Amino acid sequence: MRPARPFPMLTRPPLGFGLGLRVDHYEAILAGSPPVDWFEVLTENYLVGGGKPLHYLTRIRERYPVAMHGVSLSIGSSAPLDRAYLKAVRSLADRIEPAWISDHLCWTGIAGRNTHDLLPLPYTEEALAHVAARVREVQDVLGRRILLENVSSYVSFHDSRLSEWEFLAELAARADCLILLDVNNIYVSAVNHGFDPLTYLHAVPAERVQQIHLAGHEDHGDYLVDTHDHPVPDPVWRLYAAALRHVGPVSTMIERDDHIPPLEELCAELGEARRLAARTLGEPQRRTALSA
Amino acid sequence: MSTLEALQRQFQAHLLRGDPAIEARVSGSERVPVDTRLGIYRGAYVSRLAEALAANYPALALLLGEDEFGALAQEYVRGHDSPFFSIRYYGDQLPQFLATHEEYVGAPILAELARWEWTMTLVFDAADAPALTHEHLQHIAPERWAQLRFDWHPSVQRLGLHWNVPQTWQALLAGAPRPAASVAESATPWLLWRQGLTSYYRSVAAAEAEVLDAARSGWPFGELCTRLCEAVGEAEAARQAASLLRTWVEAGLITATV
Repeated sequence: MRPARPFPMLTRPPLGFGLGLRVDHYEAILAGSPPVDWFEVLTENYLVGGGKPLHYLTRIRERYPVAMHGVSLSIGSSAPLDRAYLKAVRSLADRIEPAWISDHLCWTGIAGRNTHDLLPLPYTEEALAHVAARVREVQDVLGRRILLENVSSYVSFHDSRLSEWEFLAELAARADCLILLDVNNIYVSAVNHGFDPLTYLHAVPAERVQQIHLAGHEDHGDYLVDTHDHPVPDPVWRLYAAALRHVGPVSTMIERDDHIPPLEELCAELGEARRLAARTLGEPQRRTALSA
Repeated sequence: MSTLEALQRQFQAHLLRGDPAIEARVSGSERVPVDTRLGIYRGAYVSRLAEALAANYPALALLLGEDEFGALAQEYVRGHDSPFFSIRYYGDQLPQFLATHEEYVGAPILAELARWEWTMTLVFDAADAPALTHEHLQHIAPERWAQLRFDWHPSVQRLGLHWNVPQTWQALLAGAPRPAASVAESATPWLLWRQGLTSYYRSVAAAEAEVLDAARSGWPFGELCTRLCEAVGEAEAARQAASLLRTWVEAGLITATV
């Protein structure tokens, strides 16, 4: 049974099954019609003046819905929001009209520095109020709800008074934002911090989940590292099935950031996601590209 | 300072400088102690920035080899935090770093190669702009020419290089045998630009470089001709000025007349 969605819908109808757009695949995508319903692009890669990046993005956008996924919003930082960055994101969004814009529930730097990493927050009331206010500000600038993605983490702080899932749920409600659920990140953090991934999953407000990320990781024995450079492993597939039961049909994509295989290989992996979703939700999932 | 800011300052100081203060605020476990946990972030920070350097300086990475480039990257990352929202811009100071660091100052071709590669990245994703056509020039009234100035394609870059860097760079990236390093007494002027999606470069004669630089800094066409006149005489100046302009327009270097 598909879970009932509250009305009115907060999220838009699913786009189907997508991939992260990678330079290595530009030509293959344009030369053929890969069985991919939509693409997610790394926002920062296209915050440039022109040339090949924007050329290819524009051509691919003509054929596919595209979502923008950023890594530098630093929504959790105590440094002021980077207005120039937000302006650049807005300008790219005006140009390519993405299906949505997402970034991460984390901070990336302070005091004028960017560590280019997705650093975890202490889950405190202070951080919650701070981040919620900033999300609302960002949403005002971008003129839409944004999606925030749960990151994988290796440390937790003594300061924390809430679990990560309580923090995420409360933030989404207070800021009225949407969620990009990275199933691999839940799994990685669950192993690293010793919690049950299903506890996390079931606490996520299903009506706010607009997208799911699938990815692989690296097993270091005592802990996992979120490398996004491996195929999706079995425990993540199982958690994805649980996520589908919790959320219902939802835009899903495979995010591979390194050791990028040929497009056909990723399409085959995406086929597994389609079949798993069909089995889990009891109906075939969308196969063809929509015009966004 | 808020509790959040204090924690973030400590965490960042740990990543950037190894400051231990954050350790007291992090939970560890018997299986995965605090230092291992923080070490994952420390390692990722350095390796991510080193990867960005290798992406921006692929020929330099090939020339130095994995170990030496790795050592260079570690040293550079130690002294250069990123202020950029996009990691694509990390490494902008590497040419200067190589030119002045005691370890590398004895191999000046490295700094020039880095300057070349960085400039290439700027050409690659500079803003697009439609190029001016010959036809446009034909419709300019004769009386306007003396005061005519030009707008240049955002990708246009000029470099002066003493070493045979472009040849070395080309060989390295093509996997071809590398020419022996050679140095000239005076710098060779190079012009780099992008036409459509393709990046181009060529060496330019000293006379062209001088006029091109003057034109790019806003000298009107009449002044360019006067300058050429002094160098090559009146009869030749008009022919050369027209020829240079034709070449520049052909290559898509000029986007508008002002």
